[in-house]
Amino acid sequence: MKLGKLNLPLIITLLLFGAFVVIPMGSAFEYSIRRGLEGGYGLQNYLWAVREEDFSYYLIRSTWLSAVTVLITLVILVPTLTWIHLSNSKLRELIDGLSLLPLVIPVVAFAVGAQISFPEFIQSSVMELPFLYFILALPYAYRALDIGLKAIPLKTLSEAARSAGASWLRAIVIVILPVIRSAVTATIALTFALSIGEFTMTVLLHWDTFPTWVTYVAQDNLLGAIAISMIALLVPFVLISLVALLTPEKEIKESN
Amino acid sequence: MEKRGVRKGASFPISPSSILPALPFLLIFGFFFLFPISRLIYVSFMSNENTFTLGNFQTAFEKPYNSGFVNSIKLGLLSAAITAIPGAVAAYFIETRGSSRLKRTISSMNGVLANTGGVPLAFMFTAALGIQGFLTQALKAVGIDLYANSFSLGTFTGLLIVYLYFQLPLMIIVFSPAISSLRREWVEAATNLGANNLQYWLRIGIPLLLPSFLASFLLLFASGFSAYATANALTVGNVPLTPLQIGGLLDGNVSAAQLNLGKALGVVMIVISACAVIPYLLIQRRVARWQTR
Repeated sequence: MKLGKLNLPLIITLLLFGAFVVIPMGSAFEYSIRRGLEGGYGLQNYLWAVREEDFSYYLIRSTWLSAVTVLITLVILVPTLTWIHLSNSKLRELIDGLSLLPLVIPVVAFAVGAQISFPEFIQSSVMELPFLYFILALPYAYRALDIGLKAIPLKTLSEAARSAGASWLRAIVIVILPVIRSAVTATIALTFALSIGEFTMTVLLHWDTFPTWVTYVAQDNLLGAIAISMIALLVPFVLISLVALLTPEKEIKESN
Repeated sequence: MEKRGVRKGASFPISPSSILPALPFLLIFGFFFLFPISRLIYVSFMSNENTFTLGNFQTAFEKPYNSGFVNSIKLGLLSAAITAIPGAVAAYFIETRGSSRLKRTISSMNGVLANTGGVPLAFMFTAALGIQGFLTQALKAVGIDLYANSFSLGTFTGLLIVYLYFQLPLMIIVFSPAISSLRREWVEAATNLGANNLQYWLRIGIPLLLPSFLASFLLLFASGFSAYATANALTVGNVPLTPLQIGGLLDGNVSAAQLNLGKALGVVMIVISACAVIPYLLIQRRVARWQTR
């Protein structure tokens, strides 16, 4: 970081943007730690939220649903994309285009379509959600992996692995995945974040997960719901910022 | 060492022209995406007696559903228009003057703000801009009384304010790649040829960035137009918005004479959204030709 010369436009930008982000967030946080009648501040809303039985129930549920989504994404996309890159198939254009299509369809419309299309045994199982989340995250996940695979000598690597006797499965898991690990990490982070916060599809298909539970809480205990929302926003915000700040520059260059 | 030898056909399973390796993807994508969307379109043309009709679409453009479209389009356009230029300027200064660590930090923070928003965002603003909220009180102290004329977060203006909070970060995310691919050499070349700063921007900088700017605007419009979660949490049916109307019809909270009205509303939404997202994707593709080094 060059601190030598004063960078006025950047500083002004950061101050304004920082104020835009932090003022509402900080203001909401202040509200959420107010103590009702006694005045002063306390964490009772947060304690209430964390002690709620449903808090951990829905958090765990959302977490495993998102983990399954990540798994589906990797299992489907990594082999498909590897094949696309190696074979130069004519299907490439088609699949590239298809992967962007979910961006075009508003989630509300997609949810209506899902509700009137799937047979009963799918609609009655919560396992439909990870597959739908997979579709919603597809445009981002596909691009992240695509960029990762473009950047490596895929042909050489896979031919070397195959010549050494590895099966395609082994070649992908042991050789290709580790080489594109930063793209894989980005894909995991993107897909997981999108799934764990997904609301529209989930609520319109009448499922309950962590984000939809919060809206029920709000009907009885608005302060509790605000506290939960602050946790849902602040925790990933702080974690991601810390990771970005603490990762040494050198490592970033290597992984890129 | 030649335990297995190199088998013939070591190229990816079966021949390259084969569709087989792409089959799992195509099957899942077809079943979980193409099938529901096609069925949605098909059913939107069905009457209650399962005969072909355009009646659902007719109703979709009548009261109160027409005002839903007008409001949703207005919300998308306004939230995009207000954030596009500030977002572009912020992206410019962050991309051109920030250290790489700063850029990474801001881009991941923006990712959280733009994507995980939804419901938590709604409650965050309920706290910040409620009557007792710190921000409301602070604004009051400087002479802006939000609640002087029947303001509430559950109104069109209220929603617009909340939408800005995820639209600005989104603008910075989608516009930054265009900025970072502006090359320093171009400024230098222009200067060497005798151009001043203004001329550089008018003749080179702005024309180069304009397509990306328009593309970003279109994406922002689509995002504001189809947003559901935030509006659903903040309003109680007082602001007619198409996504909320569809949600109401789907839940059976609102009854309509035509069973498939919600599907027709969904199809119209897809058409409007496609009018923005498809040009966005085409522009991005065109621009990518010079943006990739």
